[in-house]
Amino acid sequence: MSRVITYAKAINEAMIQEMERDENVFILGEDVAKMGGDFGLTQGIYPRWPDRIFDTALSESAIVGLANGAAIAGLRPIAEIMFADFAGVAFDQIVNSTAKMNFMFQEEANCPVVIRAPQGAGIRCAYHHSAVVESWFLNTPGLVIVSPASPYEAKGLLISAIRSDDPVLFLEHKVLLNAKGEVPQESYALPLGKGVIERDGKDVTIVALQLTVKMALEAAKELEKEGIAAEIINLRTIKPYDEELIAKSVAKTSRLVIAQEGPKVGGWAAEISAMVSEKYFEYLEAPIQRVTCLDVPVSFSPVLEDYYMLNAADIVAAAKEAVSF
Amino acid sequence: MALNKERLKSLYRDMYLIRNFEELIKEYAANGTIPGFVHLSTGQEACEAGVVRALRTTDYKYPDHRGHGAILLCGTDPKYVMAEIFGRATGINGGRGGSMHVHDWSCHNHGFNGIQGSTCVTALGTAFAAKYRHTDDVSAIFMGDGTLGEGTCHESMNMAATWKLPVIYCLINNGYAISTPSKEAHPQEELRQWADGYGVPSWRIDGNDIEAVVEITEEAVNLARKGKGPSLIEFVTYRWQGHFAGDPASYRPAEELEYWKKRDPLILSKKVLIEREGVTQEEISAIENEVDNELQACLKFTLDSPWPVACDALTHVYEEFSVEARQ
Ligand SMILES: Cc1ncc(C[n+]2csc(CCOP(=O)(O)OP(=O)(O)O)c2C)c(N)n1
Ligand SMILES: [Mg+2]
Repeated sequence: MSRVITYAKAINEAMIQEMERDENVFILGEDVAKMGGDFGLTQGIYPRWPDRIFDTALSESAIVGLANGAAIAGLRPIAEIMFADFAGVAFDQIVNSTAKMNFMFQEEANCPVVIRAPQGAGIRCAYHHSAVVESWFLNTPGLVIVSPASPYEAKGLLISAIRSDDPVLFLEHKVLLNAKGEVPQESYALPLGKGVIERDGKDVTIVALQLTVKMALEAAKELEKEGIAAEIINLRTIKPYDEELIAKSVAKTSRLVIAQEGPKVGGWAAEISAMVSEKYFEYLEAPIQRVTCLDVPVSFSPVLEDYYMLNAADIVAAAKEAVSF
Repeated sequence: MALNKERLKSLYRDMYLIRNFEELIKEYAANGTIPGFVHLSTGQEACEAGVVRALRTTDYKYPDHRGHGAILLCGTDPKYVMAEIFGRATGINGGRGGSMHVHDWSCHNHGFNGIQGSTCVTALGTAFAAKYRHTDDVSAIFMGDGTLGEGTCHESMNMAATWKLPVIYCLINNGYAISTPSKEAHPQEELRQWADGYGVPSWRIDGNDIEAVVEITEEAVNLARKGKGPSLIEFVTYRWQGHFAGDPASYRPAEELEYWKKRDPLILSKKVLIEREGVTQEEISAIENEVDNELQACLKFTLDSPWPVACDALTHVYEEFSVEARQ
């Protein structure tokens, strides 16, 4: 049975259903147990399983480190980092341990850790509470990085992340937490590493992730008024990303726009762009366009933060440029 | 140790300023004028005022996220602090920082770093620079009980103690880190004991007693200025508000707040002023009126101030390079 719930509720439900299914799943993080999480994502779990969800000290390195160790010892930890920006404190654990455990132990042990963290700009919290962090970790082999765009995806992908024997960095967007959508009540898993076509089109491909999916869909409506049919790809997983889906679409449209939240230089859009120009150059009839945020830290004041952020109009402009090239 | 009447009056003024500045912040955060989140120090004013007033302008100061109070006293004109918290162009950082990032290096206010524990290691560097240059400036860090969980705090104290760096750890123990009680996050009976393992001198004192705060901070500052290395002061206090303004704080018992409201640092110091120092109610009202007027002027300045210009977001990222503007 499907009903309309929020993105936050979908994440909560995924964890609860996985805890029902597998007693090795447990949760740790700051204020996750008794208060139910700073953003309320772990509500209702402590009353049910007081022995399977733990409030920690402010110790991100220890949170991820403990999760790593527990995982190789056979448990399935979900480690919450209160804001993705604080993953910086646990950076060493994530890139040097979480990501490399499977490689280290081959078949003898694996590291089925899920690190959940809300990310992104748009809540007026300035430069230490607004980062999107996919690109911080993109250059780390061994990690799976998932950034769901809707409640439906949030639930299905988190369930897959918890079941996966690979470590998953599961990034939630703070601006989407209250977004509503149809979500099946029962448990279901969506494949990691696979994107979806959100909208068919023949003139230009727009690759989007998480917050930019909605922007791209808005842009597509605008473009339609001008007779441009945009195809929107929602990647869902950014590492490893769905190359086949992108290639197929670009083969059809010959034009590519990539809409990425976060600074431009060294962002994931650069990776997609490089991959397409390296392998599928012959499909292209126009330069690839990256639509991103600016290469600056996120400011507090709304005027400044909005200037940093990309929007649908930027995507429209880039798509028009690609089409008219 | 009893402070003299004039000093005590001046500290009362500081605390009254902090209390009422934050009352305005609370009001304008609740009505949506201030974007984002604000963390209020209401109830902890004696720690904020006492520590900063035991320091001098050149000392390096590291307020924490609940640090409006300390920031107000570091040397910046309060109206520029208020405008910053409101995100206006006239703010001390042009609106780029907001409540959590009010920095003013002209008075060595480092401001807060949104990553808890981070300032503990940055302060090693300012303390090191002071030692390197043979000045006797100290570096004072405000940190909460919860923040003590961060590894950086421990690395910091280990290095400061070994290198005898002039760092003062001002540990504001208000009993909670968001919803998590201090005793569920740390094994020590008294957090002060954390310093014992590093051979660092420490005190645990009543953080609502302004005289005790000043006295002990001055003692710690003295040690640091003389090259005796770091020390730690645990200030036992309480935040009246939840973690951020608007947090219902349902994780704590109502009696606790009632108890601490009776121990209001402003009321306690007013009592000393009147009963011990013979200050009249009229004198106190005169101080309060002056601050009230100053705050109304700050508010008017702030509300009349423009928003930043959007492309200001591009400035100050690099000293020697520019950043591409929006197309
Ligand atoms: C590295 C890091 N982890 C977590 C947070 C989120 N956070 C901000 S304040 C806070 C609680 C701090 O508690 P404490 O140090 O006791 O200070 P108090 O809020 O009580 O003044 C937390 C968890 C953060 N800002 N940085
Ligand atoms: Mg605290």
